[in-house]
Amino acid sequence: MIRSMVMENKFLLIRDLHVKVGDKEILRGLNLDINRGEVHVIMGPNGAGKSTLANVLMGNPKYEITKGEIVYEGKVLNDMKVDERAKLGIFMSFQYPEEIPGITVENFLRSAKMAIEDKPIKVMEFKKVLKEKMKLLEMKEEYAQRYLNEGFSGGEKKKSEILQLLILNPKLAILDETDSGLDVDAVKIVAKGVKEHKSEENSIIIITHHNNLLEYLNPDYVHFLVDGRIVKSGDISLIDIVEKEGFESFKN
Amino acid sequence: MIVIKDELNSLPIKTYRWLNVNHLKLDERIEKDRKPFCKRFFEEMDDDNISIGSINNIVTINQHLSRINNEKQEYGVSGKMVDMAENFNNAGVYAYIKKGADIEKPIRIEYGMDRENDVVIDNNIIVASENSRATIVVDYCTLDDIDAFHNGAMKIYAKPGAAVTVIKIQRMNDNSNHFDSNIAVVEDGAEVNFIQVEFGSKRAVTNYISNLKDGGKSAIYSIYIGNRDRELDLSYYMNHIGRRSISNIEVKGALKDRAKKVFKGTIDFKLGSSKSEGREGESVIIFDKTVKSKAVPLLLCTEDDVKGEHAASSGKIDEDKLFYIMSRGFSKEEAMKLIVEASFNPVIDRIPLEDLRDIVRDELARKLIVEERI
Repeated sequence: MIRSMVMENKFLLIRDLHVKVGDKEILRGLNLDINRGEVHVIMGPNGAGKSTLANVLMGNPKYEITKGEIVYEGKVLNDMKVDERAKLGIFMSFQYPEEIPGITVENFLRSAKMAIEDKPIKVMEFKKVLKEKMKLLEMKEEYAQRYLNEGFSGGEKKKSEILQLLILNPKLAILDETDSGLDVDAVKIVAKGVKEHKSEENSIIIITHHNNLLEYLNPDYVHFLVDGRIVKSGDISLIDIVEKEGFESFKN
Repeated sequence: MIVIKDELNSLPIKTYRWLNVNHLKLDERIEKDRKPFCKRFFEEMDDDNISIGSINNIVTINQHLSRINNEKQEYGVSGKMVDMAENFNNAGVYAYIKKGADIEKPIRIEYGMDRENDVVIDNNIIVASENSRATIVVDYCTLDDIDAFHNGAMKIYAKPGAAVTVIKIQRMNDNSNHFDSNIAVVEDGAEVNFIQVEFGSKRAVTNYISNLKDGGKSAIYSIYIGNRDRELDLSYYMNHIGRRSISNIEVKGALKDRAKKVFKGTIDFKLGSSKSEGREGESVIIFDKTVKSKAVPLLLCTEDDVKGEHAASSGKIDEDKLFYIMSRGFSKEEAMKLIVEASFNPVIDRIPLEDLRDIVRDELARKLIVEERI
């Protein structure tokens, strides 16, 4: 009884999660607890299952949960559709954002915001908000009228993801390798955007294998993900261990 | 009674019969009579550089035409259907644009079919004189819940240096029949562009031909949606006669439920059309396995110093794209609609009238989302 009360109060609970892609098991009994307003960092070597975790939280149909549970605000997410999760406030910043030629950034984002909030939003009102957020991310205004991600550089695509984050204002943001492939200046801008989003209400999961972004954000927890499991959790001081020793010592 | 016992949209060169694309064979009796179309269907233009009128004064027009064009050419979905449109019509517009005139305001023709006027047989003739410029927008729609019939023909004469854009929107209801034949005579250095929006009718059979003389240019940008049990048979023919002529056929579609579509695109480089270039491409987004989609892109060459390109692609919606869009809060249907809309937008944006652009976008949403839920 007490345990279930605790579970209901938790923001996000992942219990013994096993996930398959095709025939291959990637996550093998992953556990993770996240409270409201916390910033968690997930680090790990290539192939450990970091992106899988992001995709399975968002509900990518390519990933199959074979065992375990994801509980978000007391609701089991396992079989929930992608758009329903988005409407509950879950957002993923993609490692490789898709290009959607034919739909402008502005139209896409306004429609998305209306879909999530399920109410109409006036064009002028939206333009104003969009302009503010773009300014913060040092994006040229003309980008609002460009087709979504089409012909964007790597850095511009990542900024476009953070712009979407700021506009949609989700309760749980999962940033999948948002800092990879960015130069120092772009990382600073992305960090500024993420900081803007951070609040007592909003939780953030940052998946990375650099500490570029972390210099600017103050994560509450750092987790090492190795071979499909969280092998160590702690505070930011864990990052120094990785810097010195890598993940080798955590492998079986 | 309208009887159609005919082979429509025949390919210029026959292929294997088992491919079943040589022509669309129809043997249909449509319980309709040819009767007058008693509605205003075009806007008068307050411009001295253009004369526009109803086609009914056909004798004068034919005399006029025989002076500008002596060529006789078969065209259209079939000889009989064109004969019906040219000689037994109940509507149609004749427009003449003076030399060098630049008509900015689109010429607007609208056949809104209702209970009293459910048959449109139209013959339209557009003559654009030397170095003139004009845009014509034709909208075929049904206003009542009727089974309408449309069979039309349009001839466009673009004199040297003239530029004509024709936009044809067909959004008749699912009980209706639509047959449409178009031919453009594109003289030296002239340009004729077609924009086709094919969203409606139980059966839509359309045919576009451009005859390109020296330095003539023609493009066709077409978008179509097939849903439920609707059938589309779309034929395009770029006839390169003159040197340095350029053509482009770009067709994009979406097919769902049990819809059937045949696309036939021919680029024909005639002897003497050296240094000409032609391209064609069709891409279709397939929603359901139950649709039938055929594409026959043909390149015919009797001239060797030419460049021709063709491509046809069809595919299911990219799963990664769908996941990305859905992760932003869109349902699967909305996401698929968004992908189709994205692919159609460059063509929709070519429609010069905002109200019609909105109508087309609404119709797209209706076909792909609302009708889904019924």
